[in-house]
Amino acid sequence: MKRRTFLKASAASIASAATASGLLTWSPRSYAATISKTYYITDGYIAQPDGTSVYFQGYSQATGSLDVPALPMIVNQGDTVTVTIVNTLSTTHSFVIDGLVNSGPIAAGKTVTVQFTPNTPGTYLFYDNQNAPYNRLMGLHGGFAVMPTGSTNELYSGSPTFVQQLVWIFNDIDPVWHAAVAKGTKPTTAYQPLYFTINGLSSRPPGAAGNGDPTIDAMANPSTKLEGSIGDRTLVRMLNAGMGANSVHIHGNHWEFLTKNGQIRSDVWLKDVLYLDNNMGKIDAIYPFEAPPDAYPPVTTGRYPMHLHNEMTQTAGGGLYLFGAMTDVYFV
Amino acid sequence: MNQNLFRSQTMNQNQACYVYPAAPATPGIVTPDVTFYRSIYMDGSITMDDGKVVTVWGFTDNANGMNNANQFPSPAIRVTEGQIVHTVLNVPQMLIHTIHHHGIEPAWQNDGVGHISWDVQGTYTYQWKPAHAGTYFYHCHTNTVLHAEMGMYGPLIVDPVPNPNDPAGTKRAFDGGPTYDVEAIWACDEIDPNWHTLPWWAGTCGGNVGLNNLQPKYFIITGVDGAKSALTAPGVAVKMSLGQTLLVRYIQAGYFPQKITFGGLTATVVASDGRPLPNPVQVQSIQACSAERYDCIIKPTKAGTYTVQIQHLHWITGAVVGTAKTTITVS
Repeated sequence: MKRRTFLKASAASIASAATASGLLTWSPRSYAATISKTYYITDGYIAQPDGTSVYFQGYSQATGSLDVPALPMIVNQGDTVTVTIVNTLSTTHSFVIDGLVNSGPIAAGKTVTVQFTPNTPGTYLFYDNQNAPYNRLMGLHGGFAVMPTGSTNELYSGSPTFVQQLVWIFNDIDPVWHAAVAKGTKPTTAYQPLYFTINGLSSRPPGAAGNGDPTIDAMANPSTKLEGSIGDRTLVRMLNAGMGANSVHIHGNHWEFLTKNGQIRSDVWLKDVLYLDNNMGKIDAIYPFEAPPDAYPPVTTGRYPMHLHNEMTQTAGGGLYLFGAMTDVYFV
Repeated sequence: MNQNLFRSQTMNQNQACYVYPAAPATPGIVTPDVTFYRSIYMDGSITMDDGKVVTVWGFTDNANGMNNANQFPSPAIRVTEGQIVHTVLNVPQMLIHTIHHHGIEPAWQNDGVGHISWDVQGTYTYQWKPAHAGTYFYHCHTNTVLHAEMGMYGPLIVDPVPNPNDPAGTKRAFDGGPTYDVEAIWACDEIDPNWHTLPWWAGTCGGNVGLNNLQPKYFIITGVDGAKSALTAPGVAVKMSLGQTLLVRYIQAGYFPQKITFGGLTATVVASDGRPLPNPVQVQSIQACSAERYDCIIKPTKAGTYTVQIQHLHWITGAVVGTAKTTITVS
């Protein structure tokens, strides 16, 4: 099974582009457009860092692939967004963005098209609210970014500006729950996450198989790692698809903390830790790519980690520290 | 050092995986303004209010080559903004640890993150120059999930350069920030005693040793059991006079979220994570996630004893799994 597929930009595609670089790319326009996108609900198995194969479902780019999470969408405020969901599975699913769109149940084998107009810039999670929360945890989730009209570098009109942006979706995985869903049953055990991911990937430290492989290693994947030179201010749209509250800790610079759960904060606090609520919490923050302030002699290059400070999430299979939900920051 | 513990670790050193032992020279090393010496202890213990003894690890102050007594939390690193600081970490042979100065943002070689630089075996000098006054902490970043839980952390305070216009002895949270008379450093943490029986490399080579599943039974404030002892423990419980100003440096040293309430007192949050807030905010409580710090100014207007509570919230369910308590007594 193909681990990850990238959106093929068609000639007509003026919106929803996450390029192979992993960054969300965007060209400004002052007019609204009609954006069309198709996701195929598929399933399959993904090998975890300890070798365990775990069942997942995803909004995928093709019937033969499995994307966990979905490739993110980015649109303009005021666009007419049309999303077609092809449910290739034998179970009922949906496509929901809270406050924006709800497909309702999509029966096995059915295709449903929804249309909606996002008017508020910001960051959203699209997900499956059927069989809640299980389908969402199985991987049926993705990031949805709404840009302010005519802007390339703001989160909302008048926000601090950035030069590049990406989406981080965190998830935690209880393989017992996933196995139950694979069998078409509801989990009956207490939730006990054993694997932890950022954009569907765990990390692989130096010396481990897969270290540096962008398709496996979250520290090397272009959709998760931060890479920039001094001044390459990077907006990170953080979404928590999982059940655990996370502590998003970054080294090298403090975050500029802009929004929490969709609310614009009245002041921009500088934080080295961000409290990401469980069950679909969200945060927008800018990593400023300033020279690390406490270096002596001063430096402008280097590599630093981003990791969740609730350190249980830095493990896999109950051990294997450094095989969890983390990535790296590259000052180049 | 507990000889049995040390021997078992020595014999099993080769069981550690994905550690990167080294002790190179510090790039660009210069004569520092201030130096802190730290070594390792892994035979510490604390006695809980129920009488049970829990093993803790930490850093000793080994200035002048003397291994001073175990402290838990580890002895504070306190510096002044703009100083060039050396933290000299000595890790005995067969052990592997680092110091990460959390919230301090130095060159990568001095950040103490094993998979990016190295885990220290031998002696390494971390060189850094704090640019921002405030509340930080330092902790081990090797097999961090376990080593931080085992207690390998201590406060790190950066004071502002004294303002020449202030009377001698004036204490400020940061340059231009509020003054204070009394200071409390509350590092609030939870303890799962099952984790505290594990060896330092536990889980690093694989196998389920339960490091995904923290089940805390004790809730401590700056190393003291918050069930009862912290209510009165010197150095934790605050005694102050009416008219004085208290600065609480709250360090969220656990993994689960916490909610701290100040016993009915109003706290003015003036800084967080080593950075002043653009506008201070007044609160009755703060809910914080792992490793956040909040600097809180409290000016009681009435004498009395106020019971501060730190509720520890399960990271998945949000349920209160335990509460630690201390007091602010205003005379």
